[in-house]
Amino acid sequence: MAFAVNDKKRVGEKQLGVLFNEGKVRRRREWRGIKDTLYDYGRWLYLLSILARVIIKPRNVKAMFRYRWFANYLAVPHMMDKFTMGLRDEPLRIVHTAMDFVVKDVATCIDNSIKGDRRTGNNVKYSDKCVLWDENAMTAAMMGFPTLNCILREVPTMFSANLLNQHSGLHYLDVAQQFGIPGDVCPMPEAELGVSIDDDFPVLGKCAVQVNTTCDGSLMGNGLIAKRLEREYGIPTFQLVAPMRHTEEDVQKYAANDIKKAIAFIEEQTGEKWDWTHYFECAKRVNQTTRNRVAWLEINSTPYPQFIGATFSLYNDTNYMGNCGRFPIFAEIDKKIMKYVTHGYKNKTMMAPEYRHRCIVWGVQPQYIIDMLNWMVHCWGVVPLTDMLSMVISEEIAEEDTPENREQAYYDMAWLTMNMIMRNHTHGGYKVLVDELWEYCEKMNADMVMMWEHMSCKALTGMHGQFEEQARERGINLVWVCHDLADPRVFPRQAIRDQFNQYMRTVMREEPLDPTIEVLPDNNAW
Amino acid sequence: MRDLMYLNYFENLLQEANNELIGQAKKDGKICVAYVCENTPEPLMNLGNAFGIRLHAPNTGSMDIATYYMTSFLCETTRALLERAIEGGFNFADCVIAPDGCTMINRCVENMELLGTMGKGNEKFFHEYMEIPLKADDNGVELLILQCKNHILKPLHEKYGIDVSDAAIRKAVEEHNRVCRVITEIGKFRKEEKPRITGYEFHILTLATYVMPQYLIIDKLEDTLEEIKTREPDDKKYRARLAVVGSEVDDSGFIKLIEETGAYVCADRFCFGSLPGRMEIELNDEEDALTQVCRHYVYHGECPRMFNMEKVYGRKAYVNDIATEYGADGIIYEQIKFCDPWAYEKLLGSTMLREDYNFPVLAVDRPYNISSSVGQMRTRVQAFVESIEIKKIQGGAKKWRLR
Amino acid sequence: MSKFKKLPLMMLGGGASFFAVTFIIYFFNLDMKFLSSCVEPILLWNYDRIPRKQYI
Repeated sequence: MAFAVNDKKRVGEKQLGVLFNEGKVRRRREWRGIKDTLYDYGRWLYLLSILARVIIKPRNVKAMFRYRWFANYLAVPHMMDKFTMGLRDEPLRIVHTAMDFVVKDVATCIDNSIKGDRRTGNNVKYSDKCVLWDENAMTAAMMGFPTLNCILREVPTMFSANLLNQHSGLHYLDVAQQFGIPGDVCPMPEAELGVSIDDDFPVLGKCAVQVNTTCDGSLMGNGLIAKRLEREYGIPTFQLVAPMRHTEEDVQKYAANDIKKAIAFIEEQTGEKWDWTHYFECAKRVNQTTRNRVAWLEINSTPYPQFIGATFSLYNDTNYMGNCGRFPIFAEIDKKIMKYVTHGYKNKTMMAPEYRHRCIVWGVQPQYIIDMLNWMVHCWGVVPLTDMLSMVISEEIAEEDTPENREQAYYDMAWLTMNMIMRNHTHGGYKVLVDELWEYCEKMNADMVMMWEHMSCKALTGMHGQFEEQARERGINLVWVCHDLADPRVFPRQAIRDQFNQYMRTVMREEPLDPTIEVLPDNNAW
Repeated sequence: MRDLMYLNYFENLLQEANNELIGQAKKDGKICVAYVCENTPEPLMNLGNAFGIRLHAPNTGSMDIATYYMTSFLCETTRALLERAIEGGFNFADCVIAPDGCTMINRCVENMELLGTMGKGNEKFFHEYMEIPLKADDNGVELLILQCKNHILKPLHEKYGIDVSDAAIRKAVEEHNRVCRVITEIGKFRKEEKPRITGYEFHILTLATYVMPQYLIIDKLEDTLEEIKTREPDDKKYRARLAVVGSEVDDSGFIKLIEETGAYVCADRFCFGSLPGRMEIELNDEEDALTQVCRHYVYHGECPRMFNMEKVYGRKAYVNDIATEYGADGIIYEQIKFCDPWAYEKLLGSTMLREDYNFPVLAVDRPYNISSSVGQMRTRVQAFVESIEIKKIQGGAKKWRLR
Repeated sequence: MSKFKKLPLMMLGGGASFFAVTFIIYFFNLDMKFLSSCVEPILLWNYDRIPRKQYI
């Protein structure tokens, strides 16, 4: 049944269910053998030091008592325990290297947001050098502004908060719905709007840029958020266009022209000038990131995948979208990860006693919230080779500073913006959503697709029947796992896992590798 | 009021998507260009030998098959259209042109394509998907021109030999304007204290202009205009005059339901309504017609997906303008269930119209076919109408814009 | 022993104590248990008390 069997004996805890109880947090941390437990302990200390460096500042303490979302950051170590569950050796180190850096990046984002926030830090000079940037967008058009700070204020308030605490969005969803937004729209932009209505965003920046990237809900929520920004706080907003049919030749010029306009807007508002030298430095790093991601995916297409799961996706989100070549430090982290990945591959390191299925994870995912992918490996031996959000561009952009490339750069920035994570598949027609999935299955030797069906994502559910019929025609095992993203009241964690459990037992007729985690009492957990 | 001469005729034709006039036009050897979104420039689908038909699905009942393909969370319009397509209700179409406007309508047409619901036996049949500008600016105009060339004019010309010259576009705009003129003239009677046409009747006439070959109904519309000019209005005072704003209303029963509560629908600012859908396109001789048509659609469109802030605020100002012009006492913001764009627009619009423009506003969502929710909707509209009456009695006219 | 000679021993003892205490906190998840049961409820109580201008 298995396509790969682990010939190394698993050290430490073998039945992971022992770690769970009904509480908000785990009963205790995992015993991974002396070496790996000490490693994990060391990283825990490091993580606490990152958090301590944030909370030691009085302005951040003030913010902690002002902003509801701030409380979620109490759960950072808990989140790390989710992402490292059952891991040993290289995969454990990969997750820590990637995730500890993501934590550091978000901590910096919080610190910067609060520094300029009119209610807490109120550093006006700093705030005047900040541009608020839509969280659901590539930061490509900031690659030529080295002296400006690009603040993605929805990241700490909504997106990352949701990784830490599954209940983090509920208050904001309630606020938005109380004001009249229906419950059937995507909870992500809805919760962001809720934060705005609840006046819980830090207020800073000289100007703001919004993008229509993810979906109609996100596009439309922008208008409501921009109204408050402009009319109450006097922060002018620019709406940057990312065409829907991004694979078509006849939309590229339109997108590139709007990038030019966005840059002109930022220059006008901040008084800063676009720096081509810095842009092309960033472009080189974007290409390096692309090459690294492609290399990791290649290793994942072998029998011994190394860098997988929610961490793979999250790190790519942060690096590809949030960083977009702007910070050299990511290159260092990439290198470290690459070292572990290569080493793990050579050693044929596996995460579970056996791997039974090779799975592509598709659809709009809540995997950050419940870390389903790690659970799939340990519970069922199903290896998530990659996911939809990680399948972004594989082409490189122009990186040499020449007159032709300066014009090309606008097209490249537009290309990156249009190919933002997720929307490069959810938009642009059925070919990029449905047809490309089957191509990836073939490329990565997958025999299974785990289809996250985000019930409020209309772009995805609009192809429900097509996925089902085409998977059947191709003989691919397609597991539907329905959820409502940031709203666990609709689909609690166990209800999500149960869909997978039922498929594995009734369709695949298999027994779990670790039956103690088939049902977990974590519906009330962070 | 005496019944309008052609009202029953139009009502009967609207009972079928594949109405007999479409059959007649096809017999005339014409090419049917089906479309689904208001952002698609209409005159371009009425070029030469072609005629544009907006897809709708009257008397929709079960949507089970479409719900399987698109789940129950997609907007009912899109599911109703897909269901009708699967049933074979749109087999008259020779092509479908769909914008990647709102996601759901795009998915609807993609499903139609993948399921091969139309064009059987017609080798020339094609589906085209257009990018629609998201901002009202010159960059958007440039985009729309290119999209119209690549996804409407080129395939129509190459597949069906349709004349897509500047002269042909000008002629199509002229005919389009003739329809717009007559609908606008009829619509103006809604401003009267005692209107000579009901909101329901007006909706029937307007809807007909989108879903029937225009050249076959223009004479009847013009006759109707003449008839209304001399029509005696009922000697009754409406309880409240309401502007309806929101998603497309394919079911005139919704307008009828509102008017059955004693209200009067005096303005229609919804997708495929007359404001601004039946606004004439003004052409000059200096510039090519296509550019001018596209500019009209970009700058005069009121689609909620246009997200530059001038447009976001402008849409509310436009609703205020028409509500004022047509003497509305209140506004109903309506949204087809599960429609994301109008869900958000409804919230911002209803808030701004209430707070910034002092109109009483009712915000509702509704099914595609109102007959599945008559009781609930009637209760809500009745309560809204009563609240307006109470405001009038209590002297709320000072705060609220009541007549 | 002179103070100078004691220093490495003191450092070793301090380090061992630090390790023992923090490792116990780490392994038994005491940090998360404390924050979730003592700190979070206070913060949430506080957020509910803050007057907010809820507005579109």
